Amino acid sequence: MSSLLVHRKYKGYLTVFIFLAPAFIGLLAFRAYPVFLALWESMYTATYGGAKAKMIFVGFENYQLLWEDIIFWRSVKATALLTLFINPIQIGLALGLALLLQRSTPLISIIRTLFLLPVGVAIPIATVVWGLMLNPNNGLVNSFLGVFGIPPQPFLTSETQAIWAIIAIASWKGVALWMLFLLAGLQDIPKIYYEAARIDGAKIWDQIRYITLPLLRRSLLFVTVADTAINFVLFVPMFILTQGGPRNSTNVLMFEAYRSGFAFQDYGRSMAIITILTVCILIIIGFQIKFLRPKN
Amino acid sequence: MKLNKLLVSIFTSAAVLISCLGTATAQSQPKIKVLIGNWAAPALSPAFQAFTKETGIEVVAEDLPFRDLLKKIEILGKAEATDVDVIFVDAPLTPSYAERGLLLPLSDRLPNINPEQLWAPAAANSAMWKGKLWAPPLTNSSQVLFYNKELLDKAGIPYPSASLEKRLTWSEVVDNARKVAKPEAGVWGFMFDQVSRYYQLQVLPESLGGGPGLSKDGLSVTGQLTNDGWIKAFTFYSDLFNKWKISPKGVSASETVNLFSSGKVAYFVGLEARTVDFDKSGIKYGIAPHPYFTGGKAATPTNAWHLGVWKNTKYPKEAAELVRFITTNPKIAIQSFEIDGRLPSHKAALKFIDDQPKFANSGKRMAASEAANTGVVRARTPAFLEFEELLNNAMEDIRNGGDPKSVLSETETRITSALRRYR
Repeated sequence: MSSLLVHRKYKGYLTVFIFLAPAFIGLLAFRAYPVFLALWESMYTATYGGAKAKMIFVGFENYQLLWEDIIFWRSVKATALLTLFINPIQIGLALGLALLLQRSTPLISIIRTLFLLPVGVAIPIATVVWGLMLNPNNGLVNSFLGVFGIPPQPFLTSETQAIWAIIAIASWKGVALWMLFLLAGLQDIPKIYYEAARIDGAKIWDQIRYITLPLLRRSLLFVTVADTAINFVLFVPMFILTQGGPRNSTNVLMFEAYRSGFAFQDYGRSMAIITILTVCILIIIGFQIKFLRPKN
Repeated sequence: MKLNKLLVSIFTSAAVLISCLGTATAQSQPKIKVLIGNWAAPALSPAFQAFTKETGIEVVAEDLPFRDLLKKIEILGKAEATDVDVIFVDAPLTPSYAERGLLLPLSDRLPNINPEQLWAPAAANSAMWKGKLWAPPLTNSSQVLFYNKELLDKAGIPYPSASLEKRLTWSEVVDNARKVAKPEAGVWGFMFDQVSRYYQLQVLPESLGGGPGLSKDGLSVTGQLTNDGWIKAFTFYSDLFNKWKISPKGVSASETVNLFSSGKVAYFVGLEARTVDFDKSGIKYGIAPHPYFTGGKAATPTNAWHLGVWKNTKYPKEAAELVRFITTNPKIAIQSFEIDGRLPSHKAALKFIDDQPKFANSGKRMAASEAANTGVVRARTPAFLEFEELLNNAMEDIRNGGDPKSVLSETETRITSALRRYR
C-alpha cells in the first residue's frame, strides 16, 4: 500500500478518535473509574484509635464477612423479591398501556399526558406524599378502602405489605416513561402487517403474539434492561419511608450499602455490597440480552 | 518604533500596578462557616451577629434537619472537607467524633475553661472524652408529661399533679390513656415525642434498672439489651401500639408534636421545649413530671447539642473563639433560651431560670431540676452512631409488631459486629 493511502487511513481513524474522545473520557472518568474505586475500597477497612482512622488492606475479608452475615442474606432476599416482581409488573403495565394508548383517538394526547405526569414529579416528593396517603391510621388510601368495607391496612408498617407498597409507588411513578419507549417501538411496526393479519382472520391476541411482540423486541429489550438496572438501585422510598424496615423486609442491597457507609462508617463493607450488586446486575442483564436480543 | 516602546512600557507598568492592587485586596477577613440544626437557627443567629459585632469576623450558618445533619457531617468527614469550621455535635457523639478525627481538641486552644464550673454536670460530662475538652455544650434538654385538659375532662380523669414527689407511674398513665383512646375516631391515649429513638426510650429500661444498653467501657453489648429491664421495658413499648392500642403506628418522630397540637392525644411525653409549639396551637394543656415504673427509679432523657471545631478548618483560631464566645457567655445562653425555650447548659442561665418568678410554676423549673437530678446520660462509646442506628431500627420493628426478645437479641449480634472495629 502506498504511504499516501496508509496516511489517509490513519488520518481517518484519528479524526474518529478525536471526535469520540470527549465522550470516551467522560465514560472513563464517571463510569469506569468509580467502579474500580469501589472495587479497590472494598478491599480495605477502617480501624479507629488515636485521632485519625487508618485504612488497612484486608483483601477479601469484607466479602467473607458478608458471606457470614445473616443481615446481608436478608438484603439479598429482599432485593431478589423486589426484582422478581417489580420488573414484570412495570414492564407488563407499560406494555398494556402502550397497546391501549397507541390508537389516535381525539383525546389521546391528553390521556397520554395525564399518565406521564407522575414522571415529572420528583421522586422524594412523590414518596413523601404517598407515605402520607398510606398512613395506617387515617391515610387517604385506607379511607378509600373503607368505602368498600375493607378494613384499614398497615401498609408501610407491615412486614409483608411494605415492599408491595414501595413497588406500587415506584410503578405509579415510572411506568409511563417505559410506556413512551414502547409506544415509539409500536409505531415503528408497519400497519400493513396488521391489515394482512386481519384479512387472514387473526384475532387481537394473535396479532399481539405474532406481530407486535416479535417486532417490538428491540424496544422491549431496552425497556427491560433499563428498568431492571434502575430497580436494582431503587433507594429513595426505602430511605424516606421505611429505613429498610419493618424487620428488614425492605432492606434491599442498595439501602444496606448506604447504611453501611453513612450510618456505620464501614465503607469497606459498603463498597463490597456495591460491587456484588454491580456484578448481579451485569449477570442478569447479560441473560436478558441473550434471550431477548432480536434474531436477525 | 518609539510608539511601540511607549506602549510596552505603559502596558508593563499598568500590569505591575494592577498586580500590586491585586495582592493588597487578596487579604480578606476569614468567614466562619457553621453547620447547625434547623431548630436552633432562630436562637443562634442573634448570637452569631453579636460575635460578628464584637470581633468583625463574619459567620455563615447552614442549617439542616436532624438526620440530614448527622449524615452531612459523615459526608464532610469522609471527603475531608475544609470548607466548614464549626459543627453541631450531638452530645453522645463526642467520643465518636473525637476518636474518628472529626474534631480539634480544645483543651489547649481554650485553656481557661473549667467545664464543671461553667456547665450542668451531664453537659460537662458529655463535652469531655478521655480527659480532654472536645465539644463545649450549648443546650440541654429534659422531658415532661404533657396532658390535654379537654380530653381528660371528657373522660372524667383528674389532672396529674405537677409536683415531682407525686409523679405518675406508667401503669397509671396507661390505665387512664385506655379510657380516653378511640383509635377509630383518631383520638389516641398516649404518644412519645421522639418515637423509636434511643434518646427518648432509654429511660424505660433505665427506670427498671436495665442500664443504658452498653458496657461501661462502651465496647461490649452482650447481654446488655436482653436483660430483664430491657425486655420488660420493650414489651411495655410494644404493648402501647399492639396490645392496648393507645398509641398510633406509622407516625414519625417529626409528626408527633403536630398530633398533640391538634388535640388528638391525651398524654404526651416530650421535650419540655415543646411548650413553644403547644402555646402556638392554642390547645389547653398541662404539665406533669415524666412517669416512671412502679418500684423503679425516676429517669428522664437529657443532654442535647454541643459545638465543636472541625478538624480540617482553615481558621482554627477564629473557630475556637466563636465556640468559646457562644458556650461560655451567660448572656448569650440566656438570650438563646428566651428565644426558643430550650434548656441551656450554662449554669448561670439555669440559675436565671430558677430565680425568675415567671418560671415559678412552669415546666422550665421542673425541666431544670430533672436535668440535674434524674437525667440519664446516654451510653458513652465511639461506636455511638452504629449503636443508635441499630437500636432505633430495633425499636421501630418492635413498635410494628416484632417480638421484643428476638429483635433485641438480633440487635445485640449486629451491634457486636459493628463494635469490633473499635477495639
